Amino acid sequence: MDEQRDFARFLHAVDVDGAIAEASHQRRLALSRRGLLAAAAAGAGALVLGRSEARAASGLSANDIGILNYALVLEYLQASFYTEAERSGALSGKTAQAATVVGATERAHVKAFQKLLGSKAVKRPLFDFQGVTEAQQAFLKTAVAFEDLAVAAYKGQAPKLRSSAVLAAAVGIHSVEARHAAWMRELFGVTPAVNAFDKPATKQNINRIVASTHFIVAHPKMKARSKPQYTG
Amino acid sequence: MAPTAASTTNSDGRRSRLALIVTGGVGLAAASPFFRPLLGMGTADAASKSQDLRILQLVLQLEYTQVALYEQALKEASLNGELRDFARTALKHERQHLAAVKQALGSKAGPKPRFEFGSKTKSAEAFRQTAIKLEDIAVAGYNGQAANLTKPTLAVAAEIVSVEARHAAWVRAIAGEVAAPDPVDKPMTASEVSAALNEIGLRTS
Repeated sequence: MDEQRDFARFLHAVDVDGAIAEASHQRRLALSRRGLLAAAAAGAGALVLGRSEARAASGLSANDIGILNYALVLEYLQASFYTEAERSGALSGKTAQAATVVGATERAHVKAFQKLLGSKAVKRPLFDFQGVTEAQQAFLKTAVAFEDLAVAAYKGQAPKLRSSAVLAAAVGIHSVEARHAAWMRELFGVTPAVNAFDKPATKQNINRIVASTHFIVAHPKMKARSKPQYTG
Repeated sequence: MAPTAASTTNSDGRRSRLALIVTGGVGLAAASPFFRPLLGMGTADAASKSQDLRILQLVLQLEYTQVALYEQALKEASLNGELRDFARTALKHERQHLAAVKQALGSKAGPKPRFEFGSKTKSAEAFRQTAIKLEDIAVAGYNGQAANLTKPTLAVAAEIVSVEARHAAWVRAIAGEVAAPDPVDKPMTASEVSAALNEIGLRTS
């Protein structure tokens, strides 16, 4: 599949500076003319990884690993949200179709970051979406918020990345999150593009907003540390 | 959980910010607190700043093309409904982007190009297809230059590129198309962007 090759190329580019620029624009235009199922498969099937990607984490700075792990948590949040919404059966029509495509993409982002970070990748937190995945309007409202949040988060972190290869990949994901935000907004019936300039958000602001949702109920690592230790 | 993009933006402030970054910080003393974090970052060497200026010439062509396409389509393409709303909103945004880039380039800004859109602005569907192409080119063009820009200029470019991506998704969604077909947006090189703009109708002469 073209999509698999495209995504493998993206991942390869994270390891080898400049390779991502070789990807053909024409391929993307061709894909856009295909149907929904092909696009959904682009995310779901695009997880074939070469050996070079598995080694990538060793070449990353601590700074970039920190930023990538922060992005990974946001991708976990989104991927789990769409997966749960798809499984709930509460979505219908264009919204159900969009959730399938976007969910597949977010899951692909998760896989990509996990592979890139290797053993440095944070574990998936436990989520409780508190019913917002079980009603279409609540789903859309939350999706709009998540996607706008992701755009602001990537925008806030991109200039802090040290590796230009990781930056090239991050900006390619950043603009996809913006496409998702506009798509969910259009489906929700609000303006997809409000301002001429999208503002970034700091890590602190993003964390505060995510915490305020109470969607993350546990972080595996913290859970492990906080377990009572049997010392007898 | 207020959507971040809904927060208000001072476009005048933003224009000043881009101009200040690439022209070397003239007037930074008068800047609002918003600009202050950039003071410590204004140490990019002359080569990087001159590279920013070269890249902004390409961005200028992109923004000129977008403004021209939307202006002409709103006159000629008999747009209505959500597609007209889209064109009006996108035009408003692209004018602000163009103004910001022109101000950043100052006297170095290249001349306004001519355009020959042919049939692309003559019908709603031709315009819609062209708008998808052009917004995708803009996203790919900005993304392609991200690693070449100084960090302060990158920060401003990032505020523009996601708006172009929103436009691209919006105009697809209007016709019920898959609005975000790829997991990752592929970048384009400067020469690919120039060729693609010429294909759309930009004439530099």
